[in-house]
Amino acid sequence: MLLTQTIHAAIPILLAAVGEILAERSGVVNIGLEGLMLIGAFVGVLVGDVAGSGLIGVAAAWAVGLLLGLLHGAIAVYIRGDQLVAGVAMNLFGAGLVAYGIQAVWHVAGYRQTPSWALVDVNAMTVLAFAVAGAMWYILSRTRLGVAIRASGEDPEAAYSVGIDVFKIRLFSTAVGASLASFGGAYLSLAYLSVVTKDISAGRGFIALADVVFANWNPLLAIAGALIFGFFDALSYWLQIFGVARYEVTRMLPYIATLLVVAGVIGRAKPPRALGKPFRKE
Amino acid sequence: MRGLLDSLLSLAVAIAVGAVVAYISGYNPLLVYYSMFVVPFTDVVYVTSALATATPIILTGLTFALGLKAGLFNIGAEGQTYMGALGAVIASYLAASALALPLSFVIGISLAVAWAMAPALLKAYRGVNEVVSTIMMNWIAYWLVIMEASTTFSNPMQPSETIKMPPSARLTPLMPGTSLTAGFFVAVAAAPLVYWLLERSVIGYELTAAGLNPVAARIAGIPQSRVVIYSFLLGGVTSGVAGVLQVAAMPPSYSLATNLANVYGLGFDGITAAMLGRGNPLGILLAALFLGLMEEGARHMQALAMTPFEFVKMLQGIMILVIAVRMLELWRRR
Repeated sequence: MLLTQTIHAAIPILLAAVGEILAERSGVVNIGLEGLMLIGAFVGVLVGDVAGSGLIGVAAAWAVGLLLGLLHGAIAVYIRGDQLVAGVAMNLFGAGLVAYGIQAVWHVAGYRQTPSWALVDVNAMTVLAFAVAGAMWYILSRTRLGVAIRASGEDPEAAYSVGIDVFKIRLFSTAVGASLASFGGAYLSLAYLSVVTKDISAGRGFIALADVVFANWNPLLAIAGALIFGFFDALSYWLQIFGVARYEVTRMLPYIATLLVVAGVIGRAKPPRALGKPFRKE
Repeated sequence: MRGLLDSLLSLAVAIAVGAVVAYISGYNPLLVYYSMFVVPFTDVVYVTSALATATPIILTGLTFALGLKAGLFNIGAEGQTYMGALGAVIASYLAASALALPLSFVIGISLAVAWAMAPALLKAYRGVNEVVSTIMMNWIAYWLVIMEASTTFSNPMQPSETIKMPPSARLTPLMPGTSLTAGFFVAVAAAPLVYWLLERSVIGYELTAAGLNPVAARIAGIPQSRVVIYSFLLGGVTSGVAGVLQVAAMPPSYSLATNLANVYGLGFDGITAAMLGRGNPLGILLAALFLGLMEEGARHMQALAMTPFEFVKMLQGIMILVIAVRMLELWRRR
């Protein structure tokens, strides 16, 4: 039971982390994962409810994440805006939009149960998430596209000089990366928690950022990291159920664990060299 | 000047997008904006309420600015404000006289600084990214303060809030019937003080130097660890004061809500203010006053246009997105 819960709790973090690995490997930071996750959770339930199908809800959440990712990518790559500021803006916008949306659509304050017809099988989503992580590892480390993505993040000048379109690579890596965070959000609301609240992501977007560092930008290691964070998430509910400690104490666990894990692994982590630096044609 | 124009541009874009969103969701955009931007000026109670709302935002905005100047993305003001408020509650628990007020500041600021020190030390000695660590500290503070507020310090008469500040220790409204207290002037005074600190003092010089070029600063004898610690320490002080004031200068309850309603979101509002104000303490003061007006307006919008309060948060997110786009020549060079 604890094992299943650990795996289920790991999935949203894994999806967002794998997406962020893709974006950061191409050279773009997106700290707006939290907001993208929230928006994904909201859009998933909204569209799933209206369309009467959870799968359509998931697809819609993914598509909205892709669009917002294109926006972040365009700001980071073409306009050369501040990537951290744009990420914070995404988080603020997501928090506002979802809290507003839940009230405007369903006329309830901050909490909406996902209707049964919009639910998606949690195990199917779990398998899909692992497949995404594996595929991302394969693409990044075993294909020409992966080489182009990594080159754009390590040394964009050199990549550009051998004919790689750094701009396009970064734009699409960012967009696909963001879409995975929203996908993770839809998993939260349509499969795992079957509810959407105005703070349903509860820091998972930032835990995913920690996972990226923990994994040293490797999607397979991100699975291990997500499972560690998922374990503490699941454990916190278990301790609560068994009345070991007050629920406030157990709720702190995932965050304390994240801090400790990140503090422990730093030093061996090596970010892409051109991370966060806009590329400019000479 | 350019900064002000950019902020106005971002406001214009946000208002335009917001009008579309409001219209789609079935609200009257004109009524929404009328109640948000005009109604607050129609009564002195509303104006003073807007200023009271701006008070903590000025202080948490300064926290973010102090980090930004040193090239750090300190988004921990949220949790540090919770801890400051908890400090005021603890002081009310310990002292039943006017002594509770100075004690509030001592305990509140100490707790907030302690909360800021964890990410600072992790950054300085372990290289942990401050974005992740400050958010984790926010969540830990969230659950810790909720627990303390609903157990040790809960109010037996009113379970939805903590014990109150002793009457003699409260900062009371300057005008009867309004909510504006001397706390506002504390915050307003903090802005030029931080400005002076950043622009004229040795510490400010070191923070700025490290923010512009950490390598050059280190060679010049300014270690990164000292910069991180000073910047987070000072930031903890302003956020701590914000938290204390949300209890000690918060009529009529003078307590902390157990769901943290009177401190929730203030740290993120501060980030919004700091970005609108371009990281300049005086700009932040103006921006926070504007945000206070928007949020006061949002309360009227809720009543008059029946639009959810959070509409205003969405507008602010869009504004910051535009600001990010407009930051071509970075004011925070990396």
